Amino acid sequence: MTPIRRTSAMLAVVALGILPAAACTKKNDSSSYGGAPATGAATSASAGGGAKAKVAFVPKLQGIPYFEAMNAGGKKAAEEMGTIEWLYQGPTQADAAAQADIVRSFIQQKVDAIIVAPNDPDSMAPLLKQAKDAGISVATSDTDAPNSVREVFVNQATAQGIGEGLTDSLLEAMGDKGTYAIVSCGQTAENLNAWIKVQRDYTAKKYPQAKIVDVVYAGEDQAKATQMATDLMNAHPDLTGLVGECTSSAPGVAQAVKDAGKIGKVFTVGLGTPQSMKPYLTDGSSSASILWDVENLGYLTAWTGAQLAEGKTLAAKNKVNDKLPDVAFDSATKMLLLGPALEITKDNVDQFNY
Amino acid sequence: MTTTAPPTSPRPTRRARVLPPPIAGQELVLVAVIALMWVVLALTTPAFASAGSIQPLLVATAPIALAGIGMTIVIITGGIDVSVGGMMMVCAVVTAKALVAFELALPLALGLSVAVGGLLGLVNGLLIAYGRVHAIIITFGTMNVFLFVGLQIFASRTVNGIPSTLQFFGRGVAGRTLGVPHAFVLTLLIAAIAWWYLRHTAGGRHFYAIGGDAQAARLAGIDVRGRILAAYVVTGLLVGLASCFLIAQGTSSLDQSVGNGKELAVIAAVVIGGTSIMGGRGSVLGTVLGALLVQTVTSGVTQLGWPSQLSDLFVGIFIIVAVGADLLRERARRRRLRAKGAAA
Repeated sequence: MTPIRRTSAMLAVVALGILPAAACTKKNDSSSYGGAPATGAATSASAGGGAKAKVAFVPKLQGIPYFEAMNAGGKKAAEEMGTIEWLYQGPTQADAAAQADIVRSFIQQKVDAIIVAPNDPDSMAPLLKQAKDAGISVATSDTDAPNSVREVFVNQATAQGIGEGLTDSLLEAMGDKGTYAIVSCGQTAENLNAWIKVQRDYTAKKYPQAKIVDVVYAGEDQAKATQMATDLMNAHPDLTGLVGECTSSAPGVAQAVKDAGKIGKVFTVGLGTPQSMKPYLTDGSSSASILWDVENLGYLTAWTGAQLAEGKTLAAKNKVNDKLPDVAFDSATKMLLLGPALEITKDNVDQFNY
Repeated sequence: MTTTAPPTSPRPTRRARVLPPPIAGQELVLVAVIALMWVVLALTTPAFASAGSIQPLLVATAPIALAGIGMTIVIITGGIDVSVGGMMMVCAVVTAKALVAFELALPLALGLSVAVGGLLGLVNGLLIAYGRVHAIIITFGTMNVFLFVGLQIFASRTVNGIPSTLQFFGRGVAGRTLGVPHAFVLTLLIAAIAWWYLRHTAGGRHFYAIGGDAQAARLAGIDVRGRILAAYVVTGLLVGLASCFLIAQGTSSLDQSVGNGKELAVIAAVVIGGTSIMGGRGSVLGTVLGALLVQTVTSGVTQLGWPSQLSDLFVGIFIIVAVGADLLRERARRRRLRAKGAAA
């Protein structure tokens, strides 16, 4: 995810592995991020009464559409609930050390709750411990730090949900059979790889007449993803499906099908943001995009912070707002699940403005 | 050196005698390697040799080759430009946003992108020609500035719904005439002009002279600053055009990854093409071949079903071999010069 970065990054972000991977493999990426300004605490505009609990969210990086959409959801929650002040600040590159600095500054400011989407879950764990020792409630959102003292992980969707959603949507278009290939992004992205594993297992189990013939890695590069999808169609003349595993390759595989004049012969699905997928969903080069409602994830993150700051415990089922009436909390894994993965098609794509 | 006048030269004048052969050894080697790879891939994959495979391959080669032409000139002068990726981001996002907002016609979109690229190249050129700091430091700085500017223009959003105007240079049917991709033809045309200019005009030869020995070039009356400025401006102009190719090859949305790492891809093409990273020697034909080689490797690895990371390995090996061959050639040349000097 390189400097992309940002868009792809956004999803990639979701896929926790991607960002750090990209940052490591492409030196320039990090320098490019470095060029961005060191932003001061981007505080939401909620009128800061001293009585309000301060809930701080630290994304993997700020300035990309994905996390900005989460920020919008968090601001909305702060306005509607009226009991919290929503603080949002992330590093300008997906860098674990820069992110740690921001978490430290929030600890020093003695906020009431810190919620992190860690770039590096392992190095974030001791910081979360430090925050908790200082009396601050801690949680993760979007990406977990499983071996930490976090009290809740706000999970946007399970790997199972994403992998099965992608497979079902694609195979429905392919008529439950045929060969398909996956254009993934960062090779070491843990989330993407977890989803791909589900796709492999689930395809083998549920669709015995379907087969995954190849998985290629394009990084966070739209043009490269498109070219690789083109090469895959040439390498496998009987190919009838393509999956774009992140926000840069989802429109990329659809564009490749369109360019090759194979709409209706080769079907694609992917993890694409709604507005970038809209033209492809409309012309049929993409059958569906699997994602989750990112703004709702931000809303749920802020809501969770409020609960933690007020010392409330989460029930097995939680009514957050009208859109999130029944959010499940698993007390064994301390995981709050936003809900099932969302299938975005040409029929509902206009409901999303990002 | 025992170089004789090239057979194509109408009259073997004194000036012609110092010209290198029109096609250098490295270029012939590249042609042979590419031809070999194409034959092997055609025999071992179902469709490598088909139009549906070759056309997109040439389209994908074009932006790297095009930016590489400028980079070749820069490297010949002994400089380097690592801000190419950042320039691409700025050019691409400005052009994409203008396409969305004003539905620009094709020539206007091209003109805008090329103008923005030229402006950024001018910034680089002025700082390098008059700043007396090495190009890698200056362009490393401007790279970060350009990326910052690009990201500000993106304003945390992707550019969605880009009209299909630039598909004239794309991978689809609109990007071809009689089966030939426009982007690649235009790249070849510009490469041919650059090849002729660098080889057969005094202005072109001055780039080589500066790269060989800037001090001597200055004493010989060459406008060193002006030539260096020109090299970076030309690179900016070509990057502007290459950015339009990139938009066309991407999707109808443009995200912040555009241009990311492209400076390294461009430098790789130049180096594999046989241009000496030390300056003073090089050719744009080699650069175009280098870009074609890299894209052939990438596509070939995918079409063979090999793991994607192997293409990085192969490109890395090609770079090392190319640089190694260049160093050996340079050493041999020095030895010949020394022997000549001793004999005199």
